[in-house]
Amino acid sequence: MIKNKLGFSLFLALFAATSVFAAKPSPAVKNQTPAGAIPPITGLTVIDMPYDVGGTALLKWNVRPEDKPELVYQVYVSSLDAGGWIKADEFPADTRTGKDIELPFWAWDGSDKEHVVKVELPNYFGEAQSTGAVFHFKVVTVKDKKSYDSEVVSGKTVSNWFRLDRLNNLVLLVVIILVFFWAVSHAKRKGLFIRRIAGLDAIDEALGRATEMGKPIYYLTGIGGMSGISTIASTFILGEVSKKVAQYDTQIKIPHYDPIVMTVCKEVVKQAFLEAGRPDSYRDDMNQFISQDQFSYAASVDGMISREKPAAIFFMGYFMAESLLLAEVGATNGAIQIAGTDQESQLPFFFTACDYTLIGEELYAAGAYLSKEPMLMSALKVQDFGKFLVMVSVFFGIILVALGARFHYDRFVQVILNLFGAY
Amino acid sequence: MKLIKKYIPLTIVFVFGVLTLASYYIPHKVSVDYLELVSQWENIVYAFAFLLGLVSLFLSHYNKIARKGDGWGYSIFVYIGFFAMVIPAFMSHGKQSTEAGLTLLGWSFRYLYNALSSTMFAVLAFYIVSTAYRSFRIKSRQAFVLFVAAFILILGKVPLGQIIWDAVLGWTGYHVTDVIEWIMSVPSVAGKRGIMIGISIGAIVTSFKIIFGIEKQYLGKD
Repeated sequence: MIKNKLGFSLFLALFAATSVFAAKPSPAVKNQTPAGAIPPITGLTVIDMPYDVGGTALLKWNVRPEDKPELVYQVYVSSLDAGGWIKADEFPADTRTGKDIELPFWAWDGSDKEHVVKVELPNYFGEAQSTGAVFHFKVVTVKDKKSYDSEVVSGKTVSNWFRLDRLNNLVLLVVIILVFFWAVSHAKRKGLFIRRIAGLDAIDEALGRATEMGKPIYYLTGIGGMSGISTIASTFILGEVSKKVAQYDTQIKIPHYDPIVMTVCKEVVKQAFLEAGRPDSYRDDMNQFISQDQFSYAASVDGMISREKPAAIFFMGYFMAESLLLAEVGATNGAIQIAGTDQESQLPFFFTACDYTLIGEELYAAGAYLSKEPMLMSALKVQDFGKFLVMVSVFFGIILVALGARFHYDRFVQVILNLFGAY
Repeated sequence: MKLIKKYIPLTIVFVFGVLTLASYYIPHKVSVDYLELVSQWENIVYAFAFLLGLVSLFLSHYNKIARKGDGWGYSIFVYIGFFAMVIPAFMSHGKQSTEAGLTLLGWSFRYLYNALSSTMFAVLAFYIVSTAYRSFRIKSRQAFVLFVAAFILILGKVPLGQIIWDAVLGWTGYHVTDVIEWIMSVPSVAGKRGIMIGISIGAIVTSFKIIFGIEKQYLGKD
């Protein structure tokens, strides 16, 4: 326990040190003192923008009582030791404080007592020159057409190694990974109860119908690439569906939009036929590339459905506008249709045109549900845990934020919002 | 054999999965360069896979024509369509327009490809009507709720509907646009967010299954 605490403290200290060393404040060089009614700005420093790839400098100076809307600040940057000033920003003097920087409380101590301005150097000097080189900055105060230059400060930006602002996300990730491994080991020891999913239970019915009618079934993986999670989930379901197809000795056709998905699906289907003990029934043309154009694909598959009148059609994966073009043609031709997608904009179309629809997460769960493998089914428990965590967070988050707002605990509300914010 | 078919692919998946996951927390230039490199590799693999897809397409349609299978005549159009775009592309050196105007490729793109694509997209409007008709058949309480929400939305989007609303329900003090705004910003958004949260969690768990080698169906059996 003590070791764990020590480790965690070291971890925090390391990243605190990283952010401190990343920031490279430089002493201001006295250049020019403005004369007149407006006193010079004080505490001007330049630091590296923390937790970024580099190229962004943060200019900071103290807020003054004279900072009214009629006063304007202009920020200048130069890569030369003398001259070559480029205007990077201009804003009213009563705006832009440390509180405007959108970073959480554990990563940024934002104060409204100092002005903080981001200067994106790649906009003026290109990507390659912006990180590592020394740049010079000055702030010009403008009032009633008179301007007063500040001293010149210099600094450089660096590439940072850790997004401390995403620490909340990392902690959540670690928790989910721990629960994931707990669920996997738990599944090995004990069985898990999984609720029934009507759309998946209907697969047998659809395949039985196809066998009786002597018609093929169509399986569409959508228009997503292999890097899409929904397409990956779709290939898992395809494996289980193909196994049943092989057992029932019926036909399956898988028209593809993406050639990489087709290659993977060929392997999955071949394997499924092998596992079902029917390698002789497998044909290479079960998977067929159609087109990489959305509407050419839809038109072609619509034609195939209209001509062959399949008994069942599965739409599993990533679908966009072609969802209704395909599902409506299938419905008109009297096929049993089972759909599943994580595109919530397409779900209404599938709901109305298909017999069963898997909503988002059910698509991801389907492969495990059909395979009945305890290791895979354990992942469903992790999904449930994640949903439970979200529900509890939303419930208590609403109450705490509402109470904080009611009693004007602004700092407390900010802390809660930061904890659940994405950066 | 097991090493090549199982362990090496699983190691590749694990290493690249963890590196890509870590790059979300590492803003350094090294991390950005890594993501760019992986993206370039993906494009190269994609180019070769596309050739594979093209061969598959041509072979399957060639077999269909050779066997004189059902609808084999349509398969001829695959070749006609392909050459109708590829030959002009070669003749125009891949350019759609020059100073002289549209090239043959540009003409084919605008007057063949675009026209056919637009036609297909336009068909969607008719399908939406028939789908709407189907969804308006009230078979359950949920369908009734869907019907009421959709009916109010349709009503509120046309001037005649607004007049009818004001005449019949004007006494409630709520204008139809207020009700529409509430439906779109409260129950609709709540439902969407619920689905999106479930999808996000499902995507995370599916990624873990692949990264940690729990799900390895895509590799085939040992």
